[in-house]
Amino acid sequence: MKKIFILSIIAAFTLGIVSCNKEVSNTKADLIQTRLVNKTWYLDYSITGSVTKTFVGQSTYFITFLSDGSTKDSDGLTGTFSIVNNNGKYELSVKTKTINGNNFNYTHLIESVGEKKMIHSYTADGQSVKTILYFTSK
Amino acid sequence: MTITKKSHLLKLNFKLAALFTLFSINISMLSAQDLTTKQKDSAFLLRPGQELLRKIKKSFAKTFKDFVGNDLYLFGSLDLAKQTINDKEVSNPLNYLYNSVNSNSFKPVYSAGIRIDGIYKEKHPYSFIFAINRITTGNKYLNKYNSAPFLEDFTHFKADNQFTTFSIAAHYKKLLPISDMKKYKFYAVAGPSFDYKISKISNENLVDGSSNRALVNADLGAEFNNNDYYIIFAHYKLGTNLFNSAVPVQLNRFEIGMTIKAKDLF
Repeated sequence: MKKIFILSIIAAFTLGIVSCNKEVSNTKADLIQTRLVNKTWYLDYSITGSVTKTFVGQSTYFITFLSDGSTKDSDGLTGTFSIVNNNGKYELSVKTKTINGNNFNYTHLIESVGEKKMIHSYTADGQSVKTILYFTSK
Repeated sequence: MTITKKSHLLKLNFKLAALFTLFSINISMLSAQDLTTKQKDSAFLLRPGQELLRKIKKSFAKTFKDFVGNDLYLFGSLDLAKQTINDKEVSNPLNYLYNSVNSNSFKPVYSAGIRIDGIYKEKHPYSFIFAINRITTGNKYLNKYNSAPFLEDFTHFKADNQFTTFSIAAHYKKLLPISDMKKYKFYAVAGPSFDYKISKISNENLVDGSSNRALVNADLGAEFNNNDYYIIFAHYKLGTNLFNSAVPVQLNRFEIGMTIKAKDLF
């Protein structure tokens, strides 16, 4: 009888420990996507090396991401986007066509994204200096 | 006329009842005759389930023989809670504006449950508490990041500030020599408690394995027992994650509540 009692205590304890295991979110990409979509993001600042440009209060570049995976921007580019996990770094991969029908694809690193603020960065081909873009959603 | 009808009906009912009784007795006799030898043998034995239950009860009674004078109480309490969040190990590309998630204040908690009060070895008063807690907490984030002047202060992590827990506590009570101790008893109480989150955990709370459901607390408090009619208690609980987490959370709670003996209510 004592054995049964000890066994039941061990079983209850084991069940407790098993049920306490850590749970893991589906992916960070889902959380990033949730914050990104169904908003229009306006470029406030860009920094390339030591050169800072501000667009606050001016007519500025903007881009819209929709939950169906489509995107369009103020330059007339339309296409699709996806969030890609590149060794723990999350990238925004955009595949678009210009008004003339030419393909225009680019990939930006997502430095940070929230409900209102987003920071991207990229290094243009042939350049060694990184450009950082600061967006605000409105 | 109506009286005659009634008496007829009564007689008929009586006859039917008698017939039913005879019929039942007859069936049970027939059933008894139909029993196989194995069934007859097993009728003298206890059922295995009942036997196991009896043995467990006996074992528990033997194990807890020193826990005497147990009384069952119902209780309800109102708490104030605040959690301190350290998200230093989280490195995700999400930002939450610090001013929108940080509220360095206490928020209300509602708890209800049962407790068993008794005396161990007739010397040491104790209480075991089982409760459901609906917790809303204020949040104090220890770390904030910024990318001024482009991005104001932010955090990488947003902790759940509303959740439900099931808790178990074991408190040792020390009788204090205050007032008329035959009528009014004041106790200092201390002991561990354990909270398990039973509500859904948000996806934000699961990034980098930052959340786990189990919290362990150290409880400290005082209780006033009015002649066993009711107990008023005030507890302070300081809790932390039971298991290692990328975001250690410290949960502070002040609890004020009242208990009433279950047998006085029902």
